Amino acid sequence: MVNKTEMRMWQPVVRSLRASFWSVLGSLIWLLILVTLLPNPALAQGEMVTDIRRYRERELSTGYYEEYEVKSARLVPIVSVPGIRRGLFPYSPTGAEVRIRTRLADSHWGIKFYKDLRCEYCHIKETRDIHTVRGNLTCRQCHGGEPIASINHYYSPMNPTRRHAYVCSKCHEGASASYASYVIHAPNPAMLSTKETFPVLFYVFWFMVALAVGTFAVFLPHTALWGLRELLMKKEKTEGES
Amino acid sequence: MLLKRFNRIQRLFHLFLIITFLIQAGTGFGRLFITTDFGRSLTSIFGGYETAIVVHFWVGILMMAGFTVHTIYLVTRINRRDLVNSILGPDSLVLGPQDAQHLFQRILWTMGFGSSPQLDRWAYWEKFDYWSVFWGLPLLAVTGIMLKFPLLTTLFLPGWALNISGLLHRAEAILAASYIFIVHFFIGHLRPASFPMNEAMFSGNVPLEEAVKEKPAWVERLRQEGRLLELMKVRPPALWYRVLYFVFGYTALGFGIYILINGIVYGRYIQLH
Repeated sequence: MVNKTEMRMWQPVVRSLRASFWSVLGSLIWLLILVTLLPNPALAQGEMVTDIRRYRERELSTGYYEEYEVKSARLVPIVSVPGIRRGLFPYSPTGAEVRIRTRLADSHWGIKFYKDLRCEYCHIKETRDIHTVRGNLTCRQCHGGEPIASINHYYSPMNPTRRHAYVCSKCHEGASASYASYVIHAPNPAMLSTKETFPVLFYVFWFMVALAVGTFAVFLPHTALWGLRELLMKKEKTEGES
Repeated sequence: MLLKRFNRIQRLFHLFLIITFLIQAGTGFGRLFITTDFGRSLTSIFGGYETAIVVHFWVGILMMAGFTVHTIYLVTRINRRDLVNSILGPDSLVLGPQDAQHLFQRILWTMGFGSSPQLDRWAYWEKFDYWSVFWGLPLLAVTGIMLKFPLLTTLFLPGWALNISGLLHRAEAILAASYIFIVHFFIGHLRPASFPMNEAMFSGNVPLEEAVKEKPAWVERLRQEGRLLELMKVRPPALWYRVLYFVFGYTALGFGIYILINGIVYGRYIQLH
């Protein structure tokens, strides 16, 4: 048994312990409250990324385009292609077509005898648009030297997120991302495949063709026959008079 | 015996349109065909590839101004007290169901069936000519401005709108030019009844005989309204003036035919888009 004198002796110690317990607990509560005021926890280097717009806000506001370039949370190593699902596990690395030419660091990776080839051997249609024919540009002036990065590769200057700044504005001062969505290698508007790739161009072209065909289908025969009829009438008249 | 058909302002509008249209055709098609000999020689008239676009732009601005003035003129022609008749009546260029009927009659007549259509002041093909310019010019103006100021355009529209406007500008230009250089020139110059030249748009008058033959309903209406004698009080054009507009008209015709034939020949070396 503890006697009364001993208890009286410990009393101040117990009292101070009790007081410090409540003060520590209070501090902890306050700290927890303060923690809720902190920004949300984030993955390392992912804080500038939104799923769709990626670094656009950051890049537009700072004017620096490559500073924050990391692989975004969206572009995980599992390569999946929209619209293409293959195999039992369509979202696994083997499930999708991995060697998508528009997504490689070296778009010509794996092509045999590549160093002996010229661009126009394969890309003949791409050499017949206004930039190459009128502007006398060469392929490499926009697409860069070897290895030529695919247009949709993360770090490619041709990537739509930075194409306007890295490529277009070399000549077109002040080019915006919207400006850069001009289709340089425009497909042939008459082709049926253009209906899939560039439908507006396809329909506008065929509308204008229909308009022209409609106009001339009426007015060419009409005018020619009219002239012929007048010619024959004139002949009849001169023969009748003489 | 002459009958007044066009007043001075109307003839001035037409002259303005001839000159600006041919300059636009020369500079525009010169640049479209620049990869061919034809395009190079055509643009060389206007100072080469780079200068041609400057000419093309400013003449385009001039055309837009002319279009605005013409539209104001058009609005002032509307009689507010007699609105329906002034818009849909025989003195108006607005297309009506009788124009389709006239076209049909004309086609039958060319093959020897029925009589030729009883045309009033404006024939169906004249109305068609008028309205094709009236919608073509704003279309070319809007697409042309879009192409001239791509950075400004892409503030409001995506960049691929420039692909569309480029296609529209070229297709509409080809349609307009080929229509003018084939159908309009044939009706105005080469048709046996108007060969060597329909002078009405330059002198302002048509011979009464020709008017009775081509526009019987119009002459009949003027007679009933008692305005025929009033409109016949016109002097024939001076000889020097006739010489002038024959030379001018045939120059325009020659220039148009030159572009048309070369355009057809070299057409396969260019792309529309």
